[in-house]
Amino acid sequence: MIKHGSSRRNFIQGSAAMATAFATVRPALADRSNELNILCWEGYNSAQVLDPFRQSTGATVKAESLTNDPTMINRLRAGETNVWDLINVNNPWARKVMWPEGLIKELDRAAFEPFFDRMLPAFKPPYKWAMDDSGEHLLGMCQRFGPYSFVVNTDKISRATAEDQGWDLWNDPANAGKYGILESDDWNVFNVCCIAGIDPFRVHTDDEVAKFGEVAKAVFGGAKLVGDIATNNQALVSGEIDFHLTGGTYSVSPARADGAVQLRGITPNKGPMEGGKGGISWIEVTSMVNNPDLSPLAPQFLQYVQDPATAHTVAFAEGTFNPVAQMANPDCFSLFTAAELDAIQWDSLEEEMAKSIEYDIVPDYDRLLDIMTSAKREASAG
Amino acid sequence: MGSLGLRHALPLLLFLLLGFAAPLLAVIGYSVMPERTFGLWQAPTLENYVNVFTSTSWISFLTSLTFAGLTVVILAFACYPIAFGLARTFGRWAPFLTLLFTIPLFVSENVRMYGWVLFFIKNGLMLGTLKSLFGFEIESWLFTRGMILLGMVYVYLPFMLFPMTLGIAMVPKETRDAAYDLGASRFQVFREVDLPLSMPGIVIGLLLSFVLAVGAIAEAKVLGGQRAIPITHDIEIAFTYSQNWPLGAALSVLLMLVVGVLVVGVLRRFDLDAILGRR
Repeated sequence: MIKHGSSRRNFIQGSAAMATAFATVRPALADRSNELNILCWEGYNSAQVLDPFRQSTGATVKAESLTNDPTMINRLRAGETNVWDLINVNNPWARKVMWPEGLIKELDRAAFEPFFDRMLPAFKPPYKWAMDDSGEHLLGMCQRFGPYSFVVNTDKISRATAEDQGWDLWNDPANAGKYGILESDDWNVFNVCCIAGIDPFRVHTDDEVAKFGEVAKAVFGGAKLVGDIATNNQALVSGEIDFHLTGGTYSVSPARADGAVQLRGITPNKGPMEGGKGGISWIEVTSMVNNPDLSPLAPQFLQYVQDPATAHTVAFAEGTFNPVAQMANPDCFSLFTAAELDAIQWDSLEEEMAKSIEYDIVPDYDRLLDIMTSAKREASAG
Repeated sequence: MGSLGLRHALPLLLFLLLGFAAPLLAVIGYSVMPERTFGLWQAPTLENYVNVFTSTSWISFLTSLTFAGLTVVILAFACYPIAFGLARTFGRWAPFLTLLFTIPLFVSENVRMYGWVLFFIKNGLMLGTLKSLFGFEIESWLFTRGMILLGMVYVYLPFMLFPMTLGIAMVPKETRDAAYDLGASRFQVFREVDLPLSMPGIVIGLLLSFVLAVGAIAEAKVLGGQRAIPITHDIEIAFTYSQNWPLGAALSVLLMLVVGVLVVGVLRRFDLDAILGRR
């Protein structure tokens, strides 16, 4: 050691410097051809969907499931664009937020647009929510969708009555204690607006905000329970409650698939939104994250889930069951059994989507959510 | 030797400090960042704390503290006789009973909560059985404040019971025998010997179950249907739907402060070192 003019301290310093240098250059050298990270709603993270892809590619696929869009978007904003390759969120975020903020990459139109041609008619290209404002850039692929307003036990309230009364079910004081609320606070903001007779998807006046606060307090004060999907479905089946918001095919399909077909997602006939519509629907858009070291498997996975058999698996992956845009393809549709079609309310799907406004971003969401959170807290205090 | 030991322990100490202190420092750091921002390197502000104090968050703080306080009081009275039995009178049945109290800990808390839902829900295991066998139709107890309290007492029972059992087991039999020999009644032995000498276990049980109960969230959500909103729920909403990490961090810091002050207050009142007999 002396011969080489070195010492233990020098050696440690040298090693540390090399380690630092290695750590610095490592990201540039990382080979991500064999890994894929997906941030998604539940279903895409299931073994049924991921395992065949893992087996065919030999890749390590990690998927994290979250149950609200804002959290996923903000994780990208907080710097996780270098972690994720694909992000699966609801329709407005790609076009209105993630693309303008540079959080996602565009897809190759020539490679992906033909898939839209084979989807249900509403998705014909150029499909609005998959494109940027200019209509030039394809921002993501579509698959699951559905109407999402509220759910009733039709043994207690008929479908026709529920559709006619719509959001006024919650304005009737006689219904206090008969309903539940799903702990899905972003959607609850939309629904409290609808109950208050206000279109959620525009900026609100102070009077409207005040009305929103009053209605939120009354709605949460009259609720028998606020809980997750399983709790609300269980409470409907057992008779603890007769109806709940927020809900629809997405939340009620597991109960219907389990035989509780008296439970049904309802889309109101009228409401405060554009064109007098009362329903709200969602469409998932899966986009490639603007990862500086994007996995080459990202576009491959987007193509993989378009396959008819995989699309059927996605529709009935664990958790919730939903229609998929690929059902226009007879090869895909034929995989659905009569019971599965009944679980996802295929009989009324087209009609319900027509009565719904597509989910959008609430411009003053933060303000309304804070008011609703406070109203919920005050209602719980009695 | 001491300094040598310290030097050898230094890497581990640093590791623990990093693992324990870094997240706390991050939370404190976020609590003074502008609302609804995600970076840690902006001009600090106290606006999140102002927002907490000008909002109705006190309701949630009060809810958490009340439920935790009630839970601890109920547990103290419920657990002492069981702990006494486990330590003194159950004999060869004591290990088996201890096992029965321990087994539920191997099952996830949420799974146990949902089990209770199926038991208590309308037309469920209890009410459905009563209805079909005896014709009783009783209103469901689920989704009430009482159910939240019941759930908390159930979940945190082992955390009170086992320290208490150890505390009672620490009381020397000879001391109790001596008290009886000197003419003390059973109540006097309990008041003058058992209670003071088992106090370390009781205080540790009280502190442990209170600190855990004040951070409870699942009971209010699953069994209570959010009929009460604890402060932990507000923190969760701030970090998720609201995406207001600084507000969530400020609420967390305040909760830590409130709990810290209460715990330090109790520890001052009951000097654990003294009651453990170290000085």
